[in-house]
Formats: sequence, structure tokens, C-alpha cells
Amino acid sequence: MIGERTLTLLGARAIAVTREVGGIALMTGQVLRALLPPRLDGRELVRNLHRMGNRSLPIVALTAFFAGGLMVVQSAPFVKRLGATSLAGWAAGYAVLREIGPILIGLMFSGRVGANNTAELGTMTVTEQLDGLRALAIDPIRYLIVPRVLAMLIMLTALTIIGDLVALVGAAVVAYLVLDIDWRTMYFSFADNLTPHDFFHGVYKSVAFGAAIALTSCYFGVTVKGGAVGVGRAVNAAVVAAAVSIMLLDFFITYATA
Amino acid sequence: MSAAPSLPVRALAALGRPVVAAARATLELWGVLIGTLAGIIRSYGKGGRRPRGAVLAQMYAIGNRSLVFVAVTLGFIGMVMMYQACLQFSRAIGDLSQVGLQFLRLVVSDFGPTLTAMMLATRVGAGIAAEIGSMKVTEQLDALRMSGVLPIDYLLVPRFLASIVMTVALTILGAAIMYGAGGLTAWLSFGVNPRTFFDPAMVQPRHLALGLIKAVTYGAAIPIVSGFCGLRARGSSEGVGWATTAAVVGSSFAVIALDFALSVGALWLFGGDL
Repeated sequence: MIGERTLTLLGARAIAVTREVGGIALMTGQVLRALLPPRLDGRELVRNLHRMGNRSLPIVALTAFFAGGLMVVQSAPFVKRLGATSLAGWAAGYAVLREIGPILIGLMFSGRVGANNTAELGTMTVTEQLDGLRALAIDPIRYLIVPRVLAMLIMLTALTIIGDLVALVGAAVVAYLVLDIDWRTMYFSFADNLTPHDFFHGVYKSVAFGAAIALTSCYFGVTVKGGAVGVGRAVNAAVVAAAVSIMLLDFFITYATA
Repeated sequence: MSAAPSLPVRALAALGRPVVAAARATLELWGVLIGTLAGIIRSYGKGGRRPRGAVLAQMYAIGNRSLVFVAVTLGFIGMVMMYQACLQFSRAIGDLSQVGLQFLRLVVSDFGPTLTAMMLATRVGAGIAAEIGSMKVTEQLDALRMSGVLPIDYLLVPRFLASIVMTVALTILGAAIMYGAGGLTAWLSFGVNPRTFFDPAMVQPRHLALGLIKAVTYGAAIPIVSGFCGLRARGSSEGVGWATTAAVVGSSFAVIALDFALSVGALWLFGGDL
């Protein structure tokens, strides 16, 4: 019967999703417990901060620049209709700081750092390096996962703050080149209409996105099964889970802080 | 005699190496695009051979299996965007009757195609690179070549065609969900009358055309970039992981850059009245 088969498929899918959510929650608990007496592997943390943060700067800056420019281009018709060029900076800045900036930077970060992290942990899992660590009485959570989670949390926040600035510059550049809006008009449009509250709204979001990306990517990395194909599949699952959690968190944070 | 090269020489080499690598990668990327287009012409030309049902199977893998993902993410982002927009409009202008008109214009000409494609770049791009990359490192591509089949023809052409069709289809669905979710938010949270909101007066054929062009372009770019990343995979599982990462970043960035180029181009074409 078709109905029965659909029901079985739906149920299997639901159980799989529940298992993943439960696994991620468990890992969150383990990470928090490992942080309680904060014994950190400082060298590993610094290495991860550099690798995940500094080396993602070019792609994040480029993305942010285009995002800022895009928002100006999109708001152009509305601004033209109202005849108020002083509103261009308001519309673009508001959209970039609160929504587009954190989301696009988060998605890029998830693609570059989160996916890479899943691939790396996945490779270590399929080559049984995690078991090797356990055999040496080294806790993989404390040694491998905690520094990565912290590094992603810190670096996504930092990259979003830098990206916000780059996006505003991008908006001003595109406004000048495409719409002939003076630099000064743009500057005062930003300064008069944007509040620190808009900026912090985006920063809170980036902290939450960083946590979500870190936990999903680590979870899918350490649960890989089945060789090279499994690693590819895990990376795929990790980026999808990260994208869904970014959108859900965005929704809840927007409503919670309004 | 052969002393270590002096500092300026080393600095020049360090600067030049990424440039050369980037130029080579760009050439290779265009090679993949041209190879795919040639493969399409070959397979549909006289005496062309196509694996049966390959395009349909890929359409299922790319389209149907992304349906829930695209619907959920675009629904939520539609609600959030509408919420933020209403918040600002009620503060700055105090009039929410324009919100729906502007939102529909933006969804049709930009947010619908671009955000759908960003989501697909994540899911589909990673999938294509992981699949082709695993085949590369397990030497299945060499086996294909040995039996006289070009890997691009066999693997990338069906994905390319399927991705274009399915990106357009999912864009239409995603844009509709986004618009509906936005309208619901405006109605429930800000009391905007749905009849005022769901008014298509602002949308003109050029907005629809721009949205369609964007969807087709993204649908073509995602499999090309991710296929290119998969074909470059080296080593074992680590190489596949790297290829997948590169595919997600590359195709997401391609979507953003193409969006920017097409939007600016359209703005110029229509003299600022996009």
C-alpha cells in the first residue's frame, strides 16, 4: 500500500532528524561540561582561530562588499521614487546590519570553515584517529571539539563585525559608482539612521550562528561512517543542517529581541 | 653557486604563486563549462548517446530532494524579512501600504532566485562535488575514460541540465513561499490587510524576466563550479572533503557575484528604474 510506505518513509525521516538533533544536544552538553573547569589547550585554540578566522577574511570581505552593494542596487528604485537619496544608506545599512550581513557571512563561513571542519573530523574518524586518541586517554571532546567550537564562535562574531564595516563601504562605493550618490550623503545617511542597536542585533545573531555552525559541523564530523563516500555525505549533511539552523535561529532571535 | 634566492625574488614568487594558481583554476573552470556545453551538443546531435533517464534521476536528486529544505529556509527568511521591513517602515514612514508592493518586486527580481540558489549551492553543490570527488579518488573516472566515455558527458551534462530546470522550478516555489510567509507575517504581526499586501501592481515583465534570467544563470553556475571542484579532488577522503568545501564556497560566491553583476546590469539597462 502506498499510504503505508509513505508513512514508513516519513517516520524513518523523523526518527533520523530526531536522532541528529539529540546527538547535537548531547554534544553541546559535553562541550559545556568540558568547559566547566576551563582547562583549554591554548595552542590548539590559537591554531584554530588563525586557520578558521584569519584565512576566511578574504572570502568574507568579498561577500560582504557585494552584499552591501546589492542592497543599494535593490533599494535604488524605491529611493528614486521617493526622491530621497538620503534614504539609500538607511535602507541598505539596515538590511545589511540586521539580516543580510550576518546571514550571508554565516552561510559563507559554514561553507568554508564548517564544511572543512566536518571533512577533517570525518577523515580522522574514518581513519580511526579518534579511537587512537581515546586509547592514549586523551578526551577527543576536550582536545579536538572544544577548541574548534570556541574558535568558530569567536571568529564568526569577529568576521561579522569586520564584514559589516566592509559592507557599508561596499554600499557607499556602489552608491557612488552606480547611482551617483555622494560619499557624504551616504555617510550621513548611515550616521543619522542607523543605531548601535541595529549593529548589535546582527552581532547577537552571528554569535548564535557561530555556535550552530560549530556544533553541527563537529557532530556530523565525528559520526561519519563509511570511507570517502561517507565523508562527502557528512559534509553535505553538515552544511544543510547549518543552513537550516541559521534560518531558524534568525527567525527566533528576530522575534525574541523585537 | 646556487645560493637561496634573495628576498625580493622570494617575495615575488610568494605573490605570483596564488595568481598563477588562480589563473590556472579559472582556465580549468571555463574548460569545464565549455566541455559541458560541447557534451550537450554531442549528446543531442546526430548519433549522440545519452545515458537513459540520467537527467530525470538527477532532477529528482537535485529538485525533489531539496524541496523541504528550500521551502523551510525560504519560508522563515520571508517571515523575518517582512518583520524587519514592517518594523522600519512603521517607524520611519508610518505607512505600511507600500510594503507588499515593494516586497513582491524584490522577491521576484532578486531575493527569490538568489536565496533559493544560495540554499541549492549549499545542498546541491556539496552533493555534486562529493559524488564526483569520490568517483575521482576511487579512480572510477579513469575507468569511465578507459571505456571511451568522457566523464563530463556522463556525469556533468545530466546534472547541468537537471540543475537548470530544477533551479527555475524551485525558485518559483521558493519565491511563492517567501511571499506568502511575508504576507502572513505582515497580516498577523502588523495588521496589514492581505488585500493591500498581495497586490501585484509593481511587478512588470522586466522583473519577471530578470528573476528568470537569474535563476537560469545560477542553475547553470552551481553544477559547473561544483563539478569543477569535484574533478579536482585528489588523495582520499580528505581530498573529497576539501573538494566539497571548495564547491560550497565557490558556488555560493558565484551566486552572489552573478547576482551583483546581473542586478547592476539590469539597473543600467533600465536607466535606474528597475
